[in-house]
Amino acid sequence: MRVTADRLLGLVLLGLAAFVAVRALQWQIPFSYEPVGPRAFPLGLALLLSILALVLVIRPGTNGEWPHRALAMKLLMVLALLMIYAALFRQIGYIPASLLAATVLARLFGASWGKALITGVLMAIGSYFLFTSGLGISLPDGYLAGIV
Amino acid sequence: MFDFLIHGFAVALTPMNLGLAFLGALLGTLFGSLPGIGPINGIAILMPLAYTLGLPAESALILLAGIYTGSEYGGRMSSILLNVPGDAGAVMSTLDGHPLAKKGLAGPALGLSAVSSFVGATIAIIGLTLFAPLLAEVAVMFGPAEFFALMVFAFASMSVMMGKDPLKTAIGAILGILIGTVGVDSGTGVMRYSFGMAELYDGIDFVVMIIGLFAISEILLMLEHGNRRDGQDDSIPPLGRVFVSLKEILACKGAMGRSGLLGFIIGVLPGTGASVASAVAYTTEKRISDKDDTFGQGDMRGLAAPEAANNASAAGSFVPMLTLGIPGSGTTAVLLGALMLYNITPGPMMFTERPEVAGGLIASLYIGNVVLLALNLPLAGLFARVLTIPRWVLVPGIALLAFVGVYQLHSDLTAIYLMLIIGILGYLLRKLGISLAPVILGYVLGGLMEQNLRRALSISGGDVGILWQSGISVGLWIAAAALLVLPWLLPKLLAGRTRHNRTG
Repeated sequence: MRVTADRLLGLVLLGLAAFVAVRALQWQIPFSYEPVGPRAFPLGLALLLSILALVLVIRPGTNGEWPHRALAMKLLMVLALLMIYAALFRQIGYIPASLLAATVLARLFGASWGKALITGVLMAIGSYFLFTSGLGISLPDGYLAGIV
Repeated sequence: MFDFLIHGFAVALTPMNLGLAFLGALLGTLFGSLPGIGPINGIAILMPLAYTLGLPAESALILLAGIYTGSEYGGRMSSILLNVPGDAGAVMSTLDGHPLAKKGLAGPALGLSAVSSFVGATIAIIGLTLFAPLLAEVAVMFGPAEFFALMVFAFASMSVMMGKDPLKTAIGAILGILIGTVGVDSGTGVMRYSFGMAELYDGIDFVVMIIGLFAISEILLMLEHGNRRDGQDDSIPPLGRVFVSLKEILACKGAMGRSGLLGFIIGVLPGTGASVASAVAYTTEKRISDKDDTFGQGDMRGLAAPEAANNASAAGSFVPMLTLGIPGSGTTAVLLGALMLYNITPGPMMFTERPEVAGGLIASLYIGNVVLLALNLPLAGLFARVLTIPRWVLVPGIALLAFVGVYQLHSDLTAIYLMLIIGILGYLLRKLGISLAPVILGYVLGGLMEQNLRRALSISGGDVGILWQSGISVGLWIAAAALLVLPWLLPKLLAGRTRHNRTG
């Protein structure tokens, strides 16, 4: 059997179905007059999912187009950037964190450093006032508390 | 019988709601025109912001419905001008739309698609006005067992009709339902799949789910499309004359009428949305009118048909959503989730209990449709400019909107991390050929499905027979079974008959 994306997906789904079922069987269920209970529905879904996953393993479709190494690196960089953005969001405040995230994102999507920086600055400051004054959302001020 | 509509117009014509319908139409067209952002992404990104405005339910729904129909309008821009469909529903519009643009008729093509969208949507909204109250009266007879059967039918029709691969559509729906089971079980208080995380006790928040699934995965996907050159030139062809002539419109009136009706009927079926409607309308129209073999080379009727059907199905999918609480498409599933945020469960009682919501929405569809035509005919050139916004402006903008949209829910960072994880999941699913519409439908409907099953079995004291006791539920079970079996059986039967004919 050749390893294809669909076969891997099928195996992962089988694992998921098993996990769903095992967890469901471990629940401590208090007595209730309801005949079905919280267990039956997930168990049924797990059964259905495992059948479909088996079909997928036996008869996989076309393999699709997967990103090559350079693109995969870039994808990981975007993801890492979004994680860092989330981590800094409250720490250093909305404006600096967004400035950083927007600038680097623009750069990753093909802008020159100059254009990226202008995008970042305009977007971070502009959106801050749009969200806070315009829509009444409170955003973390971070280090800039008291300045803006 | 049409009291709800009169009531609805009274609601929709207040200055604020009129303004919201206008704002929604404008924002929707803009977001729909953005390269790569279809209706569902547009609603996903804008919904949390609409929520922060603190609007009453009917106003929020009017705004969101405006965004929905507006983005269906906007989606055609990139199909016609760049040959890049904004979403699955717009694929058919590229077939004749782009050749028209290449012939120097981009302006008239945009005008024609605005007019045919208007005609298709008008047919469907009238259909909605007539049929929704009737269906609501039938739906009052639905008990939990009938609702459970209806949802089985909805998932069956979705698996067969939506997407290319029924197997993967079904898998997507099950994944969505499973994600919906996370959190405390309302019947017994048992924690399901929450891994002891307090943030998951209430389940995965709807806004986190849709923004992660659609907006974040879109960012990742755009990175790929940006790096790959498809040999398409990104320059916009000149629009030519801006207005479409009456003669051209009249030449397409048959195509618009037929496709509008078809689109409405397909839109009403649960689980089948704009992509099926426009494909069926295009192929039907080609069969009826393509006498000189001009379809595919820039025939105006080949553009009018999918555009009319596309918008008709958008309005048609409100019928099952408003009357049965079963969304007809991925996008209406998002709207249904938005209603649930307001503690309104759409269903048969909505026309009697909350006529301002049901009627206001339908009335605002009439108004929004006129607003859209008025916006789109003269401003097509302006909206076309939106297409030239480079990715390096678009993507940071989406990222900021997504983060703020989720953060403002509970000022909580866990929700943002959860959004990113769901985004990665969404990206992987899309790469694996599992479209996201069934996932979101499963997520929205799964909880209702389980509730109805458990309620039905509580009534019968555990006897499964209750699930097929009434005529309605038996009919639905048979319809669901037929849907699953026929696509597999029909070709074999037909093949058998032709063989028989040949020998006999």
